[in-house]
Amino acid sequence: MHIPDSFIPLDQAVVYWAITIPFIFMSMKWAKNELDEMKIPILAALAAGVFAIQAMNIPIGMGTSGHMVGATLVAIVFASPWAGVLVLTLVLLVQGFAFGDGGITTMGANILNMGVVSGFVGYYTYAALRKSVGTSIAAFGGAWLGLFISAIVCSVQMWLAGTFPLVPGLIAMGTYHLIIGFIGEGLITAVVITSIAKFRPDLLEDSFNAGSDRYNTEVHA
Amino acid sequence: MSGKSNMKFLYAGIAIALLLSVLAPFLASPNPDGLESAAGGVIEESKMSELEEMEPAVSSPMPDYSIEGMGKGGEVAAIAIGTFAVLAISFVFGKVFNKKA
Repeated sequence: MHIPDSFIPLDQAVVYWAITIPFIFMSMKWAKNELDEMKIPILAALAAGVFAIQAMNIPIGMGTSGHMVGATLVAIVFASPWAGVLVLTLVLLVQGFAFGDGGITTMGANILNMGVVSGFVGYYTYAALRKSVGTSIAAFGGAWLGLFISAIVCSVQMWLAGTFPLVPGLIAMGTYHLIIGFIGEGLITAVVITSIAKFRPDLLEDSFNAGSDRYNTEVHA
Repeated sequence: MSGKSNMKFLYAGIAIALLLSVLAPFLASPNPDGLESAAGGVIEESKMSELEEMEPAVSSPMPDYSIEGMGKGGEVAAIAIGTFAVLAISFVFGKVFNKKA
């Protein structure tokens, strides 16, 4: 879903940057409040894993492929969608500048779609479902919906840019990403989160995010 | 939670990322992704070739995760270099924003 430079005119690309920069700023604020010696290795491991798995395109039929985005996974582990925004920002910076995967002018839109939209939708869907359906299914559902909604947002951007017609764009992007979201995002996120819940349950428990709880208490007090 | 087990998590993450770097050039589907495929289906051909001819705003040193003239080995190296770059940036970023610093 990496939008190349040519797909969005410069004036619109600047607007997406302007929308996205406050989110990047907030994710840095999150990092400043939350990251410590204990959490940095976890963040680095997830960022490296997200970068590498994005190179692994999975065939989905119809002559099309897709890969995981990973914002929901990161957000679930850190119990915050800002963590997803942060990791996707770092990954998209490296992809854009070193590998030409996603444009530089369109990086704002790409961070918005893959970091902000997919991370926020994915994480809050997971949080809403977790108590009723359990961690694994909630992780699957959140990741799937997060990717699908970000693809819908992307097709609306493509329409505003004059690159895609609205309805055919929505149908094509929606269809492909329903499938990519099921396999590439939902299943992988569920498997990884289920493994973490088994081998490192402390990462998903409140103890790991005790710092954030304290922080919230202080803020609310 | 201990710092030691978090370092284990890090090593496991690096191992998985490097395994993916080695496998992706051979196993990843060469088919266009969802956005490219949608573009191919909904954009008129003349406009599509126009879009494809446009150069990216900034040229990258390893376009399409490859190193010129190095074939599959170059692709493995490119993804591995990217993995280490993301790791390094994450650690530098973590140090800068470390709340205890």
